[in-house]
Amino acid sequence: MSSPGLFMILCSGEHEKIQMAAMAAAVAAVSERPVEVFVSMNAVAVFRRDNSDGRYQGGEFSDMMITRKAPDALELFGQGKMLGDMKIYACSMALDVAEIGMDDLVEDLFDGPSGLTKFLADAESGQLVIF
Amino acid sequence: MGNRTLIDAKGAFCPGPLMELIAGLKLVEIGDEIEVLSTDEGSAMDIPAWVDKVKHETVGIDQEGEVWHIVVKKMK
Repeated sequence: MSSPGLFMILCSGEHEKIQMAAMAAAVAAVSERPVEVFVSMNAVAVFRRDNSDGRYQGGEFSDMMITRKAPDALELFGQGKMLGDMKIYACSMALDVAEIGMDDLVEDLFDGPSGLTKFLADAESGQLVIF
Repeated sequence: MGNRTLIDAKGAFCPGPLMELIAGLKLVEIGDEIEVLSTDEGSAMDIPAWVDKVKHETVGIDQEGEVWHIVVKKMK
């Protein structure tokens, strides 16, 4: 029996939450569990191309992860896509509000824009987690 | 008997050693083994759990000092 899909909504830009989401998404995807990620609200800023200098905003644990070179969250998402079954969508509403497009987001990570209704409909077949 | 490939993931934090193992498994043949060196104790538990889930085989787990040696055989 195949595992139920794991659906994640990312709405926080907090490094600790993005990191936990990236770890869970990558490990699930490489464990033969399909993963879909919906990036919205402040999480969108983490994925902006022009945000490489201040990409991760967080607290004490964020500082420790950066100092001790924990795996980069965006690289983990990329590994999950490359080695497993993972799709990542950008919330079309968040893109509209931020007045940015898909070209403003990091390359080779997103499978396109999506709406919340479509994402939630797909998520009925699996488990939904919000970060 | 298959070949054995060494992956030195010492110093990498979770889930780094697991991700390196999975990438390595893509490159070897069925029956080959990969030995992962890790200083992350969590990976010593996570890797066998992942191996069991996806139906490969854990050949051995040994700890030498702070380094875990986890040997995995590619089964499919």
